[in-house]
Amino acid sequence: MEILLQTLINGLLAAGVYALVASGLALAVGVVGIVNFAHGEFLMIGAFVSYFLFTAQGLDPLISLGAAALAAFAVGAISYYGLIRPVLAAPELNQMLLTFGLSIALQNLALLLFGADTRVVSPPYQGSTVSLLGLSFGLVPFASFVLSVALLSGLYWFLGRTRLGFAVRAVAQNRLAPGLLGIETQRVYLLAFGLSAALAGVAGVMLSVMLYASPTIGFAYTLKAFAIIVMAGLGNLRGVIPAAVVLAMAEAFVSTYVPGGGGWVEAVFFLVIFVSLTYRSWRFR
Amino acid sequence: MILAGVLLLFALILPALPLGSWQPFALDTAQFAFLLSGLALSWDLLARTGQLSLAHGAFFGLGAYTAALAAPALGTLPALLAGGVVAAAGSFLLGLATLRLHGMYFAIATLAFSEVMRTFVLKAGFTGGSIGMIVAPPFDGRFPLGGYYLAVTVLGLCVLTSYLVSRSRLSYAMAAIRQGEAVARVLGVPVVRVKLVAFLLSSALAGLAGGVYGMKTLFLSPYDAFSLGRAVEALVIPIFGGLYTTTGPLVGGLLLVGLETWLRLRIGEGYLVVYGVLLILAILFLPRGLVGWFSRRRGGRHA
Repeated sequence: MEILLQTLINGLLAAGVYALVASGLALAVGVVGIVNFAHGEFLMIGAFVSYFLFTAQGLDPLISLGAAALAAFAVGAISYYGLIRPVLAAPELNQMLLTFGLSIALQNLALLLFGADTRVVSPPYQGSTVSLLGLSFGLVPFASFVLSVALLSGLYWFLGRTRLGFAVRAVAQNRLAPGLLGIETQRVYLLAFGLSAALAGVAGVMLSVMLYASPTIGFAYTLKAFAIIVMAGLGNLRGVIPAAVVLAMAEAFVSTYVPGGGGWVEAVFFLVIFVSLTYRSWRFR
Repeated sequence: MILAGVLLLFALILPALPLGSWQPFALDTAQFAFLLSGLALSWDLLARTGQLSLAHGAFFGLGAYTAALAAPALGTLPALLAGGVVAAAGSFLLGLATLRLHGMYFAIATLAFSEVMRTFVLKAGFTGGSIGMIVAPPFDGRFPLGGYYLAVTVLGLCVLTSYLVSRSRLSYAMAAIRQGEAVARVLGVPVVRVKLVAFLLSSALAGLAGGVYGMKTLFLSPYDAFSLGRAVEALVIPIFGGLYTTTGPLVGGLLLVGLETWLRLRIGEGYLVVYGVLLILAILFLPRGLVGWFSRRRGGRHA
């Protein structure tokens, strides 16, 4: 019973970061209409920012969050201006190939610059635990979860309550009409893509403490984020949170209850993608 | 096509050229280049239907592992065929579930498929897991050049398939699907069937190339056989060389593998950064690839 409860909590805590990464990807897909294979690389940038600020300046990851978000936003905005904008009207195949190329380039650039080692950010509180209702869990995963929830609430507030948020949603619904109504479509795209990258960058900081920073860390999260948004329906922001919970719970259960489950966790997201797609292909025949 | 013939002829006589101490290196590099060009041609076959496959590394690896596991029992050639068949079977299952859907779902599913195949091979017992497995040389090592000529044969097969498909009625169906699936369906093109045929052909050829690759390296590990690098090479080569053509992937493959071999010697890991950058540049500035660029300079004749 206690193991079950612990598994449920582990799953729920992991869902926070998943939802953060996947919401960013859902913004890129839903608003800009770009299937961004380089999303995880923005996360990787955030993780490395956190690592280098910590080792060089001794900055706490909590402070690095802002720097990582800015750095990822900048890289996202530059990528949008230089690479995405020219192919917005191109066939979908070209768009996907372009972001895939960006992902490969960034990942291997990091490999060239920093090497393949995994680097952990270990602030003094890394190992501390929190006890709540007789259950104990790590402080860092718990704090990351709370932070993720706060950031996602902020995102929903922005999209649901502010004028700029309305503009973002308008552009997501129709590519032409908002421009005719005086919304600067290009700026909204830029904002959405930068925001998408920033969300991934923040998640990267959390992962640099919970897991590690490495050139290939982003890739696994690109795949998991895709699994989540495929389950939610591409570009559907609302479905992301329940989908993230489902994926994280499934992974937690596999790692606890499947014998030798550690390695199989990496296969769960595929099952999720496959089941969602098969379901869709039978429903929309 | 004349170019392809000349290249194949050159490939056949390469072992007889007096290269002195460079010969083993030249043959090894050429063999690798032929196999990757074959893989690129197979990728291009599917791309003609407008589908972006990121799983060709996985089909390559499936073929490599199947051929390596089956070779002691079946002999070299049947084992290679088995590799192609298993890769095609994998693509059939993946295609049934995903080819009815919009292109981006297909790309995502293939990427996930290739990651999971690696996980599977890592965890399964009979593949040697993360330690890898030793592969017997082709024909029990009786012909030193056996592997080389197998690679030439596979490349020839890929070129022939690519050429025949581009000359057949199938190519019109493929182009129609690529340019607008709904329109193609209205025109009476059996969209899913054409895509599935392209996928099967494509993955079977990728599996064949993988099988010969395993017998060339004599050692397989999941990180090598199922690496994302293979999938990247499989798609960058045709895009750089010229999509939807036979000449493009062939020329692109020989050029890029030459570059890759040089880069591997210079910088080791991380050489894929060049592929990423080339891919971005080709999409932005060279949408029809080298072949398209050359034919335009020669006065717009279609390659």
